[in-house]
Amino acid sequence: MTIEARRDVFQAIADPTRRQIITLIARSEMNLNSIADRFEISRPTVSQHVKILQECGIIGIEKRGRERYCRIKPANLREVADWVEPFRVLWEDKLDSFEKYLNTLQSKAKQNEKRKRRG
Amino acid sequence: MKKENEEAKRTITLTRTFNAPVKLVWEAWTQPEHIALWWGPKGMEVKVVEHDFRVGGRWEYTMDMPDGSQFISDGVYSVIVTLEKVFSSANFKPMTAGVEIQALFEDKGDKTNFTFNVIHPTEEYCEQQKKMGIYNGWGSVFNRLETVLSSLIAR
Repeated sequence: MTIEARRDVFQAIADPTRRQIITLIARSEMNLNSIADRFEISRPTVSQHVKILQECGIIGIEKRGRERYCRIKPANLREVADWVEPFRVLWEDKLDSFEKYLNTLQSKAKQNEKRKRRG
Repeated sequence: MKKENEEAKRTITLTRTFNAPVKLVWEAWTQPEHIALWWGPKGMEVKVVEHDFRVGGRWEYTMDMPDGSQFISDGVYSVIVTLEKVFSSANFKPMTAGVEIQALFEDKGDKTNFTFNVIHPTEEYCEQQKKMGIYNGWGSVFNRLETVLSSLIAR
């Protein structure tokens, strides 16, 4: 079963690295290289997070010369500022945990069925 | 209409389709031996202190935090319709109190559509709680982001 990749503001902030990136470029626009320099993780991984943020509509990327500059799109972050929304991420986590548990139950049930059929 | 809008504003709705028949989803969601295994974050042991699964019955789950504090979830069931829905009041101490949670199950053969609503109390009530410091438990997860957000939105 695949969980549909969500591309919204909540997906954007669900990851700690992405939250850090948002915080970083919220102060001023930055190019991809200087963002990557601030993290211990690999450049492609940072790049991947930046891409997700762009897909979530949180940041815009502008190419100037050889450099790609990332800038925050504040309007789209407004949604999160709504006062109940921080709770959403926590409930998503809980449902993820429930779903994972459910899937293990389900596969156990299927195994038992097979065993029974085999006799 | 105005009231409905207001309630929508303080409701979080999550929907999922689970790859399991409704009977299994129902059992995993409502039976204490199952709940203990998924309720907590990974690696966190959940104790089911009370689980009186009937309308008016009380439930309480606790988790011991690494720092020695305790995280307590409790509530009272208000609606139970087997294989269909469970509504309950809920408190998540020390984070929030006075929430209503609604779990709705829809039989789709070998799949189950699941809708989960969390209705938060009125904004005034939450403001009050904030002043009492009940939200402190959220820690710094959102604090930094919130600071950034509010400055951005003020622009």
